[in-house]
Amino acid sequence: MQFLSLLLRNRLAAAGGVVLSLVLLLALVTPLLPLANPDVTDTANRFLMPGEQGHWLGTDHLGRDLLARLLHGTRLSLAVGFAAAFFAAFFGAAIGIIAGYFGGRTDNLIMRGVDMLMAFPYILLALAIVAALGPGLTNALIAVAAVNVPFFARNIRGVTVGLAHKEFVDAARLAGLGHTRIILTEILPNVIPVIVIAMSTTIGWMILETAGLSFLGLGSQPPQADLGSMLGEARGALITNPHTSVVPGAMILVIVMSINLLGDGVRDALDPRLRSGALTRPMPATRVERKGTIPAEGEGGAVLNLRQLQTQFHVKNRIYKAVGGVDLKVAPGECLGVIGESGSGKSVTALSVMGLVASPPGVITGGAVYFQGQDLVGAPYERLRALRGDKVAYIFQDPLATLHPLYKVGDQLVEAIRVHHPVSRSEARARAVALLKQVRIPNAESRIDSYPHEMSGGMRQRVGIAMALANDPEVIIADEPTTALDVTVQAQILSLLDDLRRERGLAIIFITHDFGVVAQLCDRVAVMYAGRIVETGPTAAVLRAPAHPYTSRLIACVPELGGGRRRLEAIPGLPPAVDRLEPGCAFAPRCLKASAACREGDIALEGPGARAVRCIHPEAELEEGVA
Amino acid sequence: MKQGILNWTRRGVLGAGTALGLAMSLGLAGQAGAQTPPGVLIVGQIAEPKALDPAAVTAVNDFRILMNVYDGLVRYKSGTLEVEPALAESWEISEDGTTYTFKLREGVSFHDGSAFDAEAVKFNFDRMLKEDHPYHDTGPFPLAFFFSSVEEVTVVDPLTVEFQLNAPYAPFLSNLAYPTGLIVSPSAVEEYGADYDRHPSGTGPFTFAEWESNTHVILNANADYWDGAPELETVVFRPITDANTRTAEMLAGGIDLMVEVPPVALSEFEGDDFTVVEQAGPHVWFLILNAKEGPFAEKAVRQAANYAVNKTALVENVLEGTADVAAGPTPPAFAWAYNESLEPYPYDPEKAKELLAEAGMEAPEVTFYVTEGGSGMLDPVAMGTAIQADLEAVGFDVTIETYEWNTFLGEVNPGLEGKADMAEMAWMTNDPDTLPYLALRTDAWPDKGGFNSGYYSNPEVDELLEKARVSTSQEERASLYQEMQAIVQEDAPWVFVANWKQNAVTSSAVEDFALEPSFFLLLKDVVKN
Amino acid sequence: MTGYILKRLLSAVPVLLGITVIVFLIMAMIPGDPALAILGAYATPENVAKINRDLGLDAPLVARYFIWLGNMLTGDFGTSFSLNRPVIDEVLDRFSATLLLAGTSFVLCSVLGIAAGVISAAKQYGWADKGITFAVLLGISIPSFFLGMMMILIFAVELRWFPVSGMKMAYGGGGFADVANHLVMPAFALAVVATGVVARLSRSAMLEVLRQDFIRTARAKGVREGRVVWGHALRAAMVSIIPVLGIQAGFVLSGAVYIEMVFQWPGVGRMLVDAILKRDILLVQGGVVFVAACYVLFNIAVDVAQSLLDPRIKT
Repeated sequence: MQFLSLLLRNRLAAAGGVVLSLVLLLALVTPLLPLANPDVTDTANRFLMPGEQGHWLGTDHLGRDLLARLLHGTRLSLAVGFAAAFFAAFFGAAIGIIAGYFGGRTDNLIMRGVDMLMAFPYILLALAIVAALGPGLTNALIAVAAVNVPFFARNIRGVTVGLAHKEFVDAARLAGLGHTRIILTEILPNVIPVIVIAMSTTIGWMILETAGLSFLGLGSQPPQADLGSMLGEARGALITNPHTSVVPGAMILVIVMSINLLGDGVRDALDPRLRSGALTRPMPATRVERKGTIPAEGEGGAVLNLRQLQTQFHVKNRIYKAVGGVDLKVAPGECLGVIGESGSGKSVTALSVMGLVASPPGVITGGAVYFQGQDLVGAPYERLRALRGDKVAYIFQDPLATLHPLYKVGDQLVEAIRVHHPVSRSEARARAVALLKQVRIPNAESRIDSYPHEMSGGMRQRVGIAMALANDPEVIIADEPTTALDVTVQAQILSLLDDLRRERGLAIIFITHDFGVVAQLCDRVAVMYAGRIVETGPTAAVLRAPAHPYTSRLIACVPELGGGRRRLEAIPGLPPAVDRLEPGCAFAPRCLKASAACREGDIALEGPGARAVRCIHPEAELEEGVA
Repeated sequence: MKQGILNWTRRGVLGAGTALGLAMSLGLAGQAGAQTPPGVLIVGQIAEPKALDPAAVTAVNDFRILMNVYDGLVRYKSGTLEVEPALAESWEISEDGTTYTFKLREGVSFHDGSAFDAEAVKFNFDRMLKEDHPYHDTGPFPLAFFFSSVEEVTVVDPLTVEFQLNAPYAPFLSNLAYPTGLIVSPSAVEEYGADYDRHPSGTGPFTFAEWESNTHVILNANADYWDGAPELETVVFRPITDANTRTAEMLAGGIDLMVEVPPVALSEFEGDDFTVVEQAGPHVWFLILNAKEGPFAEKAVRQAANYAVNKTALVENVLEGTADVAAGPTPPAFAWAYNESLEPYPYDPEKAKELLAEAGMEAPEVTFYVTEGGSGMLDPVAMGTAIQADLEAVGFDVTIETYEWNTFLGEVNPGLEGKADMAEMAWMTNDPDTLPYLALRTDAWPDKGGFNSGYYSNPEVDELLEKARVSTSQEERASLYQEMQAIVQEDAPWVFVANWKQNAVTSSAVEDFALEPSFFLLLKDVVKN
Repeated sequence: MTGYILKRLLSAVPVLLGITVIVFLIMAMIPGDPALAILGAYATPENVAKINRDLGLDAPLVARYFIWLGNMLTGDFGTSFSLNRPVIDEVLDRFSATLLLAGTSFVLCSVLGIAAGVISAAKQYGWADKGITFAVLLGISIPSFFLGMMMILIFAVELRWFPVSGMKMAYGGGGFADVANHLVMPAFALAVVATGVVARLSRSAMLEVLRQDFIRTARAKGVREGRVVWGHALRAAMVSIIPVLGIQAGFVLSGAVYIEMVFQWPGVGRMLVDAILKRDILLVQGGVVFVAACYVLFNIAVDVAQSLLDPRIKT
């Protein structure tokens, strides 16, 4: 059912389905329609134009009614195409499953055979088969099916190999089930979607191939019409009477096109990756749809100032409020920590700054981002691009995924420099080596020619940092840069960042879920929950006396350095889904102190001086924090 | 009206492709269809030649080139199938019809410079006929049996050569005029051996210049030709196997002369830019009926089939007038041997039904072998389909089986027994003897090495044919053949369908072109402006 | 790398041997006698037997296979009886024509297909994407022979922009411009389907890649969008596009058969079809083995290219 509704949601696939159903219906009822006999010749009235003498589509070179031949031919071509696809899939899948399931020598032998068949130009194989069997539609069908068996076999084998070593198959084997049983009950059901996808994408091809053989005169035998032979017969009159060619040619086109549309739809509906959401690519900059007034920057002094920033994800008809009005600012030389669980919106906030939130589905719907006093939200792409990596640089989590796997790290560094500064390649390279040294990569001169996969995680992260430093930026936004690293490496990298900000006076926004890291590095901290800031203040003050219950729970999660093993207090429950936020405090459902008042109305982020909290039952009275 | 709609459809197609066209024209809008230079004639052939050795080939397509490179001892008089002197100035036939003495033309030399003489003639026939000849291995020579009656070729003096036959054989002279009798240069054969077929050397009006596989064969004028130098400087034969593409090339100006124009395309060549040339030839298109078994064992049923097929509609409509209705087994192109009094079986479905009823066969089941193409087969699938429809209209139940030409021959030549009741066939011959002798005699049944695949047998016909073959009097032969035709028509071993009129189209730049009844293409006197 | 190439070449040997067996068996199974093709309507049983003797077709099957294989290993592919010419000469002549046609088409389909796929992905759901998606769908749904026929009708006969058929002008042709002019229509007609397939695949590969983190990194560096798409993303997408190009090469080679027929291109595809119909056994066998060998080599080249492109692949 879900499959059908998915299929119907795809308008093109639905259109293809409708056209194909119409053609199929027509083909099915053809014998019942009041058509002329498709095989009766009337040579005196040959090559009539469409509409003449009651022949809707005219007549062919023997005066036969083209409409009748077209419909009967369609019937035949469809039947042959589907049959060929079925047989090819059946035998191909059988071979593929056997090869994939048994593996070893069986697999080797079968796949070598398949390789051999695939090394033939398929048309020659088909021709040779037809030549050996004699012409005729059945033989053409056999040839087309046979030629496509290797394709299915290879496809299905690949899937089966993956399945053959899954636990449930091993379990079935241990349970003493026979091979046939296992293949039929365990393997086959998992392979069928792949077979269906492969079939739906090849039926159109099969019809074309059969038409091709008929076109060469090796398919259907006269007077029987199939679309290919109609085209082949009409070819002689192509120049004098193009309509006799155009009619069957257009029909092939319509059928194959609708099958392909439908096939694409089937694939999209069955493919799990596609099913989980449209396969979309992010645009160069996040879409901006600001409603309401743009908040002013307010007091200056900050190099980067986020005001009431709102970023949402629009997925189908749901709206996820990932960032629900966030205010943050960071001054030169300052390090601001942004902390929260995964899904709290901290990364989205960071990415929104330079319009790097994937869009679709991301949309910035409100607020402003002031960089040196100028609003970047909705700024022209070229302006954003000029700032990216030059004035505002990012360091990302998991450098194996964030570095380009096919470029040498040196080239990636050089590119980062040259995109903003017109320096020569060798100059940029020298600078890249210096950067690598700066982030304490040993043998920088030789490491520069390594690929990311040739480096360790810590090294890669240093490359990421070097890349962020390449243009001496004003602000670095570090999005969980140490999460994937072990503790020693993490400590090295944190001290590296700390040195850099002190030496260069750059501002850092450090995003993490770990208070321990914040404590080491950050001057101030902002705690995020469900897309909003729930508490902010100087790191020391917040650590000493957390006001929001959520903050104190987060702090409790951290094993204190030197304090030996302490109970790690996990927070019960899960963060809320940001598409269904209840009014009031988002943390209320997980909070031990929550009262009825917590679930009503908006709770403001308030507090004296540098500290503020969004809570009506704070854990501690706020005092003006001192860093 | 029809013209109007036609233009409309074509414009529709044109429009559909315009987008594509725009994209392509951005790339290369080179001006195609540039006219070929004067004096150069480009001929659209139906296939790549197999070889340029006249003894090694069988296809009319190859003959079209060869006849311009080589001469035989004799040739057909222009516009007829009667022989006249060529490399032989004169000849004598002995009383008993077994010795032919030829006086050769003096001062003729091959293109490679070697002299044409009696030794060269002997070399040619010995190469084909004697297994122990040093150059017999440059074969195979599939049509050597044309001269199987030749026992010995003797050089009398440099310009006199004598052929000794083992028995009188009337078609001998006519066979000498056939391409198999063309004379090749012995020294070229000696030089190239098995490669001779790509390095031909004859005495003809054109010399061979170049053969690029599947692209062209180029011939240049032989200024020293003994019969006067040709008008053209160069002839280019281009193989274009697809009739539709050939038509398109002709329309687009890529070729100057096109042979075997598909019937449906003829209407494209009306108007001043083109000239359509036609010539009836010694061709007959027929259906072999299996007289040994099945429904066609009954003469009445065979006649019913002849009445049931609407031959006029076939030649007028399917073949667009490129053929005439055939009356009997001998085509009218053999004017001297043709029986003028024969009338074709009329189209009379009622009569056919009556005959079927008389024979007690209301709905005979018939298997019909149809070929997809093949030499002289015209439009065999369309013809077969139309014939099937005609036969079904009078009550036959016809199943068609289509075969590609070579497979088809493999099925038909060994005889139809046990497989089929009816098969398409066409023959082009050079003598009225050939077809009936090979395909209608009792001694020509497949098991005896003949082509009588329908097992027709009539002792009277056998006797007439044997007699005509050994007679040296054309008059006597003529009356024997005419008698034979009447009997065969009545017996109806075949359905006699059509005699093909060969056609060709030339562009307006080509003058003095004519087709020969022999189906050869003679270009010596053609002018290209 | 050299070791890897050698290993791949060695593993191709059994495949090629298998191909010789398959093609030999198929040709042995095909009914119809080469002698008939030689003799035409004049094939009498004695003539046929004599020709078969001349051609060495009266030897037992296994012996014939090993004689053929042995000769081939010494470089002797035999002589085509239908053309009276050494098989290898004919195959090389014809294959070079096919190589020109299929090679051009292959380049066309790769360049156009990848470009279309990349644009389509970069402008996903925009007008360019919709237009390209539709054109691609049209392209993969149209029979190439039908397209070729229509192109001849429109561009050669009606508009006279391009010559109808052949590879060069029959007289005085053969220059670069002449051959290029003859090449346009068939190469285009042949490339259409493959272009569609490549475009579809490139689009989805690009969509996949564009969502990757390293694309975000490139953007965060301030790399221009053009370079993000055509450099970073395409380079990574090529890893999955190249194997498909390898498969498409096979399809282009196969599709060339129809196109060579329609446009009378003097290529190896048409030669093989003719040879099958004429039962020219040695020509078919030699031609198929040659084409298959080239195809196998090409696929090895594709794998090598793949390993050069992707440093992560162990060679």
